[in-house]
Amino acid sequence: MCRSVILWVLLCSSVAAHEMTPTYPKWQTSMIDGVHKTTMEMFNKRQDVKWYEIGVFDKEWKAIPFVTSYKVIQLDYLNHVKFDVYITSNNKDKAEYICSLSKLRGNNNNKPMIASKICSRFK
Amino acid sequence: MNKLITIALMIGFTSVYAGTNINGTVESRCTVNTDTSGYYGNPNAYTLTTLPASAGQVPVIRIDTSLANAYKAQISYPTSFSSSPSLGDTVVWTGTVAVDQTSSSDMSGYQAASTTADGGAMRIYPLSIAGATWFSVASVATYGGGQQKAFPGGSYTAVVIAECVAQ
Repeated sequence: MCRSVILWVLLCSSVAAHEMTPTYPKWQTSMIDGVHKTTMEMFNKRQDVKWYEIGVFDKEWKAIPFVTSYKVIQLDYLNHVKFDVYITSNNKDKAEYICSLSKLRGNNNNKPMIASKICSRFK
Repeated sequence: MNKLITIALMIGFTSVYAGTNINGTVESRCTVNTDTSGYYGNPNAYTLTTLPASAGQVPVIRIDTSLANAYKAQISYPTSFSSSPSLGDTVVWTGTVAVDQTSSSDMSGYQAASTTADGGAMRIYPLSIAGATWFSVASVATYGGGQQKAFPGGSYTAVVIAECVAQ
């Protein structure tokens, strides 16, 4: 009962949220020789954010080249998106993290805005 | 005889199909929630602060995880403005990141178990228990490099970064 109440409170108080799955994606072979792909899913419950930037990084957080339909994805409020990320086979084992970062617009209210970033990990 | 064989076969098949499995998996998931966006108060000409005593508001971020030990939270207070008027002098940044609330008392050790990075601006919390954790991020910007110079008039924006990184 107590857990249900806590869950209900959490769901009701979710003002703005950013979510990306899976936590531990896997590379799969693609239709192109020497290229691997993985599929990610993102959910935008942030009314103040419409754009998310995708990045692939190694263990040292250095950027690794990759291809998606759009590196900055438009994702409207309360929408889901599934997107494929492609990487060359020689970079496949170097890739450690795949991240989505909210892109913020400037405003005029002296506000410290909150950028949200979620990173999944290749294990 | 044939009928018996048929019935036996039917029973055999029935028993094969009678046990229907319901499969499910629990997937780890992290959600970054911006509960309170926060804003700066301007208690004097040379200070911008999120402290409520100075008419500011401390931003609060909630991070939810569905599985223990799957993610770590990395929260950073700002060390520069993302937009501001042209500034000719130094801005000194200070801040703190703290656990504000937790959904379970078992998470009470999160602050003590946290570590810092990026010169102290980023605090890293291993999320060892499933549930929700609220983090508050206080930020103070002082202009003039200790000389207490007045900030130029205009709009100032700084960004708090809340990261959820798979372990």
